[in-house]
Amino acid sequence: MFMLLLVMAIGLLDYVTGIEVSLSVVYAIPVSITAWYVGAVPALGLALLSVIVWIAGDLAAGLHPSNIMVPFFNALVRLVFYAFLTHVLVRLRYLQKNLEDLARVRAVALSHEIAERERLEREMLEISEREQRRIGQDLHDSLCQYLTGTAMAGQLLAEKLTRRELPEPREARKVVDLIEEAITLARGMAKGLHPVEMKSDGLMQALEEFCVSTSELFAVDCHFDCQMPVLIESQSTAIHLYRIAQEGVGNAIKHGRPTRIIVQLEEIEEGTQLVISDNGSGLPASAPSGNGMGLRIIADRAKMIGGRFRVDRGRFGGAELSCLIPHSQAAE
Amino acid sequence: MTSTATKAKVFLVDDHPLVREMLKSLIEQQPDMTACGEAEDAAKALKGIAADKPHVAIIDLSLKESSGLELIKQIKHRHPLVSQIVLSMHDEKLYAERAIRAGARGYVMKRESTKQIVAAIRAVRGGKLWLSETVSDAFAQRFVAAQPQAGSSLESLSDRELEVFNLLGKGLPTRQVAQSLNVSIKTVQAYCARIKQKLQLSSATELLREAMHWHESVG
Repeated sequence: MFMLLLVMAIGLLDYVTGIEVSLSVVYAIPVSITAWYVGAVPALGLALLSVIVWIAGDLAAGLHPSNIMVPFFNALVRLVFYAFLTHVLVRLRYLQKNLEDLARVRAVALSHEIAERERLEREMLEISEREQRRIGQDLHDSLCQYLTGTAMAGQLLAEKLTRRELPEPREARKVVDLIEEAITLARGMAKGLHPVEMKSDGLMQALEEFCVSTSELFAVDCHFDCQMPVLIESQSTAIHLYRIAQEGVGNAIKHGRPTRIIVQLEEIEEGTQLVISDNGSGLPASAPSGNGMGLRIIADRAKMIGGRFRVDRGRFGGAELSCLIPHSQAAE
Repeated sequence: MTSTATKAKVFLVDDHPLVREMLKSLIEQQPDMTACGEAEDAAKALKGIAADKPHVAIIDLSLKESSGLELIKQIKHRHPLVSQIVLSMHDEKLYAERAIRAGARGYVMKRESTKQIVAAIRAVRGGKLWLSETVSDAFAQRFVAAQPQAGSSLESLSDRELEVFNLLGKGLPTRQVAQSLNVSIKTVQAYCARIKQKLQLSSATELLREAMHWHESVG
């Protein structure tokens, strides 16, 4: 509507300025705008109107063409020019819009894909934990018991041989020793595969055990600091926190050579927090937080359970890793 | 030299048939003991022990659908004369003390059971405790370190501390304990520290176990 008025206004201006000044280019303005924002048909309509107004204006201003066909020819040329302009603009507009749409669609697809990949990663980790747990449980509940029975059978044989005063009981006892070693091995594997019992206080217990065995295996004083009960309902949160502690302590021993490591599990106002600090050589100055495979794995795990992971200089001079699981996630 | 009358009667509780079978043969092999019965779960064990009246019961800590510790408490309660030995896959450092506190007289880990179990049966039959050197050392250390206080029992807890203890026993997470008492988590932590000190508990795990046990016993 506004464009129609504009054409009329230009027509009037054309009439006032007289025939010497050609305002044909000025008519192109409303036509272009309409082509860009409204569409091809209205733009062509407007173009037709502009041409009529222009001729009418010129005739009214006192133009006397030598041949009656001249203004019509001029009008036709001008109309073709406007049509061409409209076509180019509409086409351009179409391409631009397409491009924008395409970009938007791609962005949506990409973010879907990222979400899907994260979900799959999480699921994969979950499945691998579940499988590990199953194998661990089988080892512990089934294989270890069989081995125990077998060791007893060996012992029985040894005692029978002794009773008959035959010379082989030493070999039989050797077999018993070997089987008992096998039990220790299998038990160790089972523990590694299935460290956290499926109870809400499972993590506390598992970390306590972990610290005891770490102190024994490595020449380091690994202490579990848990001032009050920290119950974790979600099994996957518990297992991830356990693995984070495992990875963190492993890192500390490997890189920091500390004599003392503290694994702290606590409940604070913001949520559940796991802190691993040591008195080792600390973080190398060149490694900012998040670098290195071990730390990356820890960060990934923390992210997966909705936790916030940080690496700092420790209270005791070494490094300090902390992972905070905010309330909402911990309660899930 | 040993008559049947003085043979130690041993009852076996283990959910694994092969372990039970071998344990039974091993015991039968000894001149001074006999396997009088066996069970695979807590219910059958209680029934069997009531019927067979054994001198010694060998209990696995992980039974189908129930905890061996719970069974030990029940046997201790119903048949105080039965000496119980724990035979378990679980680490003695973590479970021996709990088992002894529940009423067991001995703890043998399955990975070294073969040579020890017979000796353990003889020891508890003779009225002794049977624990590995590591565990009994730890016990002695603890005993020396612990300052005997006047009433290291629940009476020493303040009302507020008892309330915290009770809520923990119900299995409430610390955050909910704080919420229901309308205090901060820090305050609950302080209460926990004092309760642990007063009851001479070494860790939060122990505190929780003790609280849950108390909650069960008062109903």
